[in-house]
Amino acid sequence: REVLEETPRTAFTIDYFKTSDGLYSAVYTAYAGMRYDFGPQGALILANVGTDEFSFGDQGAATDQTRELGTYNLSPTNGAIGTPWGRNYSNINLCNAVVEFAPSVSLDATSKARVVGEARYLRALYYLLLVQNFGAVPLDLGSGELKFNATPSCKFNRLGTDLLEKNYKAMIDDLIFASENLPDQRPAGEFRLSKVAALHLLSRVYLYRAYSTVKQASDFQNAYNAAKQVIDNKAKFGVDLLQDYGDVHKEGNDYNKEVIFSIERTPLNNIANEVNNPSTDFAEKVNISCNFFVSNYQSVTKSGKAFFPVRVLQYGRPLRQFLPTRWTLDVAFADKFNDSRFMHTFRDTYYVATFYTKGTADYDTYVSNMASLGLTLGDTAFYLAPTEEIAKSMKALTGSAAKKYVVFAPSEMYTNQNRVNNIYPALKKYEAVNRANFQDVSGRPFVVAKLSEVYLLAAEAAMALGKNDEAAQLINVLRTRAAYRPNLTSADLNARIAKNQITASVINLDFILDERTRELCGESIRWADLALRGKLIDRTKTKGYNPDVTTISNFHYLRPIPQSQLDATCEENKSQFQNEGYK
Amino acid sequence: NSFTQDLLNRTVSLRVDNVEFKQVLNNLEKAADVKFVYSSKAIQPNRKVSIHATERKLSEVLEMVLRPLQINYQVVGGQIILNSQEIEKINNDNSGINSTISADQTVKGKVTDENGAGLPGANILLKGTSKGVSSNANGEFSITYPSGTNAILVISSVGYITQEVTVGSRTVINISLLTDNKALAEVVVVGYGTQKKSDVTGSIASINDKALKEVPTSNMVSALQGRVAGLEIQRTGSTPGSGNQIRIRGERSINGSNDPLVVLDGIPFEGGNLNDINPNDIASIDVLKDASATAIYGSRGANGVILVTTKRGKSGETKVSYNGYHGITNIISKYPVYNATQYQAMRNLSVYSSGYLAPELESIATGRTTDWQDLMYKSGYITDHNITASGGKDDNLFTIGGGYFKETTVLPGQDFERFTLKASTDTKIGKRLKIGLSTFNTFNTINGQQFVYPMFPILTLSPLMPAYNADGNVIKAPAGNLDDANQYSPLLLNSDPNSWEDKTRRLRTFNNLYGEVQILNNLKYRLNIGADFSFQENAQFQKADSYFRAGQTSFASMNNAKSYSLLMEHLLYFDKTIGKHKFGFTGLWSVQKSQTYNTYTKGENLAADFIQYYDLSQASSNTLMNGSESSRGLISTMARVNYAYDDRYLITLTGRQDESSVLAVGRKAIFYPAVSLGWNISNEAFLKNNEIVSNLKLRAGTGTTANQSIGPYSTLGGVVPYLFQGSSRIPIKYNFGNTVVSGYNVNALPDANLTWESTVGKNIGLDFGLLNDRITGSVDYYSQYTKGVLYGVTLPPTSGITGQYLTNIGEMSNYGMEFSLSSVNVQSASGFKWSTDFNLSFNRNKLEKLDGSVTQNIANSLHVGYPLTAIYDYKKIGIWQLNEADVAAKYNSVPGQIKLEDINNDGKITDADRSVIGNSQANWQGGMTNRFSYKNFELSVVAFVRMGGTLVSALHQPLSTYATILDGRRNQLAVNYWTPSNPTNDFPMPSASISPILSAGSTLGYYDASFIKIRSINLAYNLPESLLKTVKMSNVKLYVTATNPFILFAPYLDKGGIDPEPSGQGSSGLVGGGPGNISSRNLNVRLTTPSTKGIIFGANISF
Repeated sequence: REVLEETPRTAFTIDYFKTSDGLYSAVYTAYAGMRYDFGPQGALILANVGTDEFSFGDQGAATDQTRELGTYNLSPTNGAIGTPWGRNYSNINLCNAVVEFAPSVSLDATSKARVVGEARYLRALYYLLLVQNFGAVPLDLGSGELKFNATPSCKFNRLGTDLLEKNYKAMIDDLIFASENLPDQRPAGEFRLSKVAALHLLSRVYLYRAYSTVKQASDFQNAYNAAKQVIDNKAKFGVDLLQDYGDVHKEGNDYNKEVIFSIERTPLNNIANEVNNPSTDFAEKVNISCNFFVSNYQSVTKSGKAFFPVRVLQYGRPLRQFLPTRWTLDVAFADKFNDSRFMHTFRDTYYVATFYTKGTADYDTYVSNMASLGLTLGDTAFYLAPTEEIAKSMKALTGSAAKKYVVFAPSEMYTNQNRVNNIYPALKKYEAVNRANFQDVSGRPFVVAKLSEVYLLAAEAAMALGKNDEAAQLINVLRTRAAYRPNLTSADLNARIAKNQITASVINLDFILDERTRELCGESIRWADLALRGKLIDRTKTKGYNPDVTTISNFHYLRPIPQSQLDATCEENKSQFQNEGYK
Repeated sequence: NSFTQDLLNRTVSLRVDNVEFKQVLNNLEKAADVKFVYSSKAIQPNRKVSIHATERKLSEVLEMVLRPLQINYQVVGGQIILNSQEIEKINNDNSGINSTISADQTVKGKVTDENGAGLPGANILLKGTSKGVSSNANGEFSITYPSGTNAILVISSVGYITQEVTVGSRTVINISLLTDNKALAEVVVVGYGTQKKSDVTGSIASINDKALKEVPTSNMVSALQGRVAGLEIQRTGSTPGSGNQIRIRGERSINGSNDPLVVLDGIPFEGGNLNDINPNDIASIDVLKDASATAIYGSRGANGVILVTTKRGKSGETKVSYNGYHGITNIISKYPVYNATQYQAMRNLSVYSSGYLAPELESIATGRTTDWQDLMYKSGYITDHNITASGGKDDNLFTIGGGYFKETTVLPGQDFERFTLKASTDTKIGKRLKIGLSTFNTFNTINGQQFVYPMFPILTLSPLMPAYNADGNVIKAPAGNLDDANQYSPLLLNSDPNSWEDKTRRLRTFNNLYGEVQILNNLKYRLNIGADFSFQENAQFQKADSYFRAGQTSFASMNNAKSYSLLMEHLLYFDKTIGKHKFGFTGLWSVQKSQTYNTYTKGENLAADFIQYYDLSQASSNTLMNGSESSRGLISTMARVNYAYDDRYLITLTGRQDESSVLAVGRKAIFYPAVSLGWNISNEAFLKNNEIVSNLKLRAGTGTTANQSIGPYSTLGGVVPYLFQGSSRIPIKYNFGNTVVSGYNVNALPDANLTWESTVGKNIGLDFGLLNDRITGSVDYYSQYTKGVLYGVTLPPTSGITGQYLTNIGEMSNYGMEFSLSSVNVQSASGFKWSTDFNLSFNRNKLEKLDGSVTQNIANSLHVGYPLTAIYDYKKIGIWQLNEADVAAKYNSVPGQIKLEDINNDGKITDADRSVIGNSQANWQGGMTNRFSYKNFELSVVAFVRMGGTLVSALHQPLSTYATILDGRRNQLAVNYWTPSNPTNDFPMPSASISPILSAGSTLGYYDASFIKIRSINLAYNLPESLLKTVKMSNVKLYVTATNPFILFAPYLDKGGIDPEPSGQGSSGLVGGGPGNISSRNLNVRLTTPSTKGIIFGANISF
C-alpha cells in the first residue's frame, strides 16, 4: 500500500506561505520580480522610446518592438508590452498571499509589519506599472479583489467603470500602510524598503491621480504632503542630496544617500541576479541598460585605424536602441556649462582603451596602431562637440595645436533623419565596467527612487496648489547642486549657481517636465511622466521634440492589452477587454 | 476425454534438422512423456524430417510432423497410435481407382530450399492418388506415375509452402520450396504470453530480426520507420544518438506523453531510452495497436505497446556468431548558401549600412572566398560488432553476447558509442520447475548533443572573410560585422578540441529473473522479477574564451541522474481443451515502484582548464546546485480469458485494474475492460481446402485504455524555489547588498480530481492469405475516442499563476486505416525469387473539445476541429508586386514585402487574420521492402513514403533561426528573394524588418512535407555450403548496404531544404523561443548537422 503514497521531496504545497519562512520567501520573490520591470529590454523600451527624450537608434529601428513603440505603430503582439503584463500579476498574487496569510503566521509584530509593508509597497508599484501603461487593470485575480488566488481562473476581470478608481485607491492604501509600518531608513548598503520609499511613491501616485479622470480634490495637497514629509525629515530618513550630481549614478557608489530605492543586482553574480546567460540574454530579469543606449563607437576610425576594434567594458556593446532626441541634447540641456548634469548624463568623450589582454599580439598591434596616431591608452579618441562652433574651431586647429583625436560636430551626429555617422552622445548613467565581458548585462542596481525626484514632485504639487514661489525654491535646490563640479573655485561655483537659479515666473508644467529631463534623463520614467500628465502628444509630435513620432493619436495614451492575455482568457467577445484604438 | 486432451496439451520443445522420423518420435516420447505405437511398414520411420517447435502443444507438434507425412494419429489409453493415411485411404476406397493403373512413367528431380540447398525428407505426392515418396538426403526423388495421365506432383515439407507442379512431358523436375512464412510467424507475442497467430483477435503487427537488419542503425526504432502499418516514426534530431518520435495510431494526449510503452522480454522498459537496446539482440518486435490488444497493459497501454523479444538460447550444439559492419558516412548535401557574389548582391540591397570590413574588401579585390561548410564537414563512420554464443542441452539453455557500436558524423565532437553485454539462461529443474535469467547491460556515450552546435556560424559567416591567418592559424573571430565580435570561428572546435566537452555517459542494467512451476499439466505459475537501474551523467566543460565561451570565463557543469524501477509480477496460466472448446486464462498481480532523481551542479571561472568538470568546488563564480526527485508506484490486477470454438470462433476478454500513486487519494484505482472477437472464416467448411483463399480471418474488438502520463505530485500543487526561462530552470534569488536570499513561487495549483485520460478504441480487421499464403496481408480500420484529455491550461497572466494548470478537460478522436501485404511475386524454378512487403496507413487526429464552449486556445496552439499539430498563422499569399503598390500601401506595406491574406476583409492585417493554415499530419504514409534472391545472392530495397502535411522549416523562418533574415549582416541560406527585376512570390526583398507584422516571417517556413526516401539498399552474398563445410562454418553472409542513398521525391528540396525529415521538436533551441505559432508538440526542420548517407560493409558469420 505504501507504494501508492506520495511524498514529494523537492516541492512545498501552498501552505508553505503560511509559515514565516514561506512569508519571507514570497516577499523575496516579489522583490526579485521587480527585475522584470527595471532593466530588461521590454521594460526599457516601454519607458524610454517614443518620448521627447529618446527615439530609436539604427538597431532600434531594426528591432520591431522598439520601432513599433517609437513610432506608435503598435500591435498587441509587441513583446515589450508583455513585460509588465505577463510578469506583474503573479508577483501581485504573492504580495496578496503575504498580506492575507501574515496575520496567522507566527512572527513578532515588528517583523510582521515590515514584511507586510514591503509586500504592500511592492504590490502598489506593480499595479502602478500596469495602470500607467494599460489603464484600469484587474484587482480580482480569481478569488476576489486583492485576494491571494489559488483557483485556476481564466476570467479577465477588467470590466467595471469604477475599476481605475479602485486601482488608485488600492495603491494609495498600500502605500499609506507601507509609509506607516516600514522602518524609517533603509539599511546602509542595501535597498530594503523603508518609509521614505513609500512616501516617495505615494507622492507620485497622488500626483498621477490628480491628472487622471478619477482625480480627487485633495490629490495635489496629499502629493505635496508626502513629498514634504521626506524633504523635511531627511536626517530621520537617512537620505540627502549628494554634493556632486555626477556621484549619484556612479558605478560603485550605487548605495549612496540620495538613492531611496533601487532594484538590486550584484556584479558578476549571475546566480544571484537570476541571469542565465549574461552575454546573450536581453529579456527576463537582466539589466541590459548598460548596452541599450550605446552608440556605434566602434565605427569611428582615424587614418584607417579603428579606435575600438574590440569593444571595451566601459562603453559596452553598441546596441543602438535608444537615441537622445535633438531636443534633449540641444534644448533641455542647452546650458552644458553652468549645469553639470549634461556631462554627467551623456558620454561625449571616448578614451583610447582596449579589451585585449596586455602581452598578446592583438594588444601590441592595437597599441602600435594608436601610437601611429600619436595616442596612448587613456588619451581622448574622439569627442562629440556640443555646438557647431566649438567643433569648427577645434577642427580648424593646425600644426602642433591640431587635435590628434576625432571631433564630431552636432550636424555630423546620427539622428533618424541624419544617418551620416552612427555616433551620438550616449546615456552613460548605466555604464558598468564591473562585468566579465563587454557583451554582458549589468550587475548594477537599477534606480527606482531618488531624493531629487521628491523635490520635483513637491515642486509640481506646490505649483498646482498655486505656490510657484515654493516650487521655484524647491527646484533651485537641485539647480544649485547641479552647478557643482569638483575643483571649481568657490567664486566660479557661485557664479554658476547664480546662473542656474530660476524664478517663480518660469514655473509651469512644461518647465517642470524640462527639469525632470535634466534631473532624471533616461531613468525609465519618461513615458509615464508624459502620458499620465496628458503631455505625450504635445511634447512629441505637436512641439516636434521627437520627429519620429508622426502618427500618434489620443488612444496611444494607453498601450494595447497584450494578445497573449486575450488569447488565453476564456471570455466571450474578447475585444471588449481591449483598449480603444487597438480593437 | 479429458485425459486425452491433457496429454495433447502437454508443452514440448523440439528442434531437429534432417533426422530420421523414428528419432523424432523417440524425442517426443521423452519430451512429452508419451508412447507411440506404429507399424514400421506403414509410416516409413527411416525417412528424414526436420521440425522446429518451441513451447508448443503436443497436438500442434504432431500436426506439424505427421500431416506432411500423411500419417494420422489416435490417442488410446495414453498411447498414440500412428497410421498411414495411404493405408486408411486404400481401405476406405471402394471404387478401386488403383486397379486402372497401367504402364508407368518415371519423373526424377530435386527439391531444394530457397538457397538452393537440397531438402531431404520432402514429400512428393501424386495428386489425386495416394502414391507418394520422400526425397533422399540430397533432396533427390524419383516417382512413377501411370503413363497417359495428366500427372501433378504435390511437393510438401514441414516449414515450407506446399507446391503443385504439372509434370507434362518432363522427366526431370527441380523444385525450390519457399519458406512458409505463415508457419514461421505462427506465434505472436501478445503481452504476458504468446498466442498462435490464428487465435489472435487483436490488431498486432510483427517484424522479425531479418527485416530489422536491412536498415543498419544505432536504434531499432529507426529501422522500424515505414515498416509497420500504423506505426509512425519521425526523427527528432540528425546527430548520432538522437531520438525518434514514435506514434501508434496517432496522438491522444495534449500534455501527456504520446509515446508507446516498450516492453523488453515481458518487463516494461521504463524511461524509453531505446538507445539502450542493441538492435542485434532483438529476435522480433510485436506491435500491439488496438485497445483490445493493449488493454492488458491498462494505464500504460493507451499509446500502443511495442513488445521486444530478444534472442535466447536454443537446444543443440553451441553456436557462435559474429555480426558486424563498418561504413563511411557523408552529408547528403550541403545547405545551399550564397556564394561571395550572391552574398554581396544581397547585402548591397539590404538595409545593413555598415561597410565591408577590411578583410572582406581584400577578398572582393582578390576574388578570395571561403566555403565554411567545406571547411567544417568531414566524413563520419558507423561501426557495429557483435559476438553471440548460444546453445545448451534441452533443459539448460544459454545465450551470452557482447556488442560494440559507434557512429560519428560530419562535424567534430558529435558521436554515439555503445557497449552492450547480454546474457540469458533457461534452466529446467525436474519436470515441473523452470527458472531463467536475462540481463542486458549497456554503457553508452553521446558526445556533442547538448551544446548549441555551430551550424549557425557555418552557414552565416561571411564568405568574404578568410578562415585562416597568413601563418595558417584559425582566425578567432571571423564574423563579417562588428556586432558579432563574439562569434568565434567554428574551426576552433577542430583546432582546439580540448576546449570543450559535452558528454553524456549512461550505464543501464536491465535484469529479469523468472521462475515457472507447472503445477498441473494445464496450470502454470510464473513469477517475474524485473530490476532496472540506470545512471546517466551529463558532463560539460567550456574553456575560457573559447568557441562556446567567447570573451568569458570557463564553465563546467555536471548532472547526475539515477533511476531505478523494481517490478514483481505473479502470473497464473491455465489452458484446457474439451472437444472443440478451447479455454485459456491468464491472471496477473503485479506491483511496481520506480524513482528517478538527479543532482545538478555548475560553476564558472575554474581555477585551471584541466580540472574540467571533475571538481566544481574550484569554480569561483556563479556556482549553482540543484536537484529533483520523482517516484511513482503502481499495483495492478489483470485477467484475460481466451475461448475458441472449433478454431473458428474466438473471443478474448480482458480486464485490468491499476492503482497508481500519482492520482489523488480516493481516485487512485481505475478499471480497464476489453473484448475482442475473431472468426477464422477459412476454417469453415465452405472455405476449407479452397485453392485460392488459404486463410481468412475477421477480427473485431473494443476496449478502454488510459494514459499514465500524469507526473508524480501533480495532484498536490506546488510551491517551488525556481522559475523557468525557456527550458532553463533558474533559482529564484534576490540580493540585498551582498546578502543573497532565495524565494519561492507557485508553479502548480492542486487538482484533487485529476485523473487519467481514457481512450475507448474500436478495431475491425481482416487477415487474409491467398494461394497457399503466397500472398498474405491484413486490413484494419480503427477509431478511438479519448475523454478527459489532460491539458495544461496556460491561464491568462491576470490569474496570477504562471505555471500551467493541469486538468482533464479535452476530448480527442483518431481514426484510420492500415493495410499491409506480403507477397512472393516471382518464384522461379531457377531459384530466383522476388518478394515484397508493403504497408500503407493513415491516421486522422482531431481535437473534439476543450473546456466548455472554448473552441480555440491560441496560447496553447489548440484548435477544436483540427489536429493537435495545427499551425495557426497568417496566410502568405505572395509578395507585393510593383503594380500592387497602392493596395500594399493600404496594408502599411510596400512592393517586395510579404503579402498576407486579409481574412476578415477589414482592410488591415491584424491578429484576427490568423487562422489554421495547416498541420503536420501526413495524408498517408507507408513503406515498401522489396527482396530479391538468386542462388546465393540477396538484394533488398527499403523505401519509406510520407505524403501530405505541412513541413515547418524553422530554417526558413527568419526569426526562428536567423538563417533567412535577409538583413545583410551575415550570409544565410540561399533563397529566391524579390527585387524589382525578380518579381518572385517566394521571399521578400532583403530588409531589416520583413513586414509590418512582427511575426509574419514565420509564413515563409511552411512547405509540403511529402517525400519518398530510399532508406537502404542491401546486397548480400551467402557463401555456398560446400565452401562453408571446408571452413567449418554454418553460415557466412557478406553484404554491402547503402543507407539513405536517395530521396526520390520531396518538394521541399526544390525550395532550398536538404532533408524533409524533421530535425527538432517544439521551439526550444530556436532564437527567441521560436515562431510561437506552432505548438511545442510539432516537429520541425532546423539548423542541425546535415543528415548523412553511407556505404556500409558487413558480415554475419556463425560457427
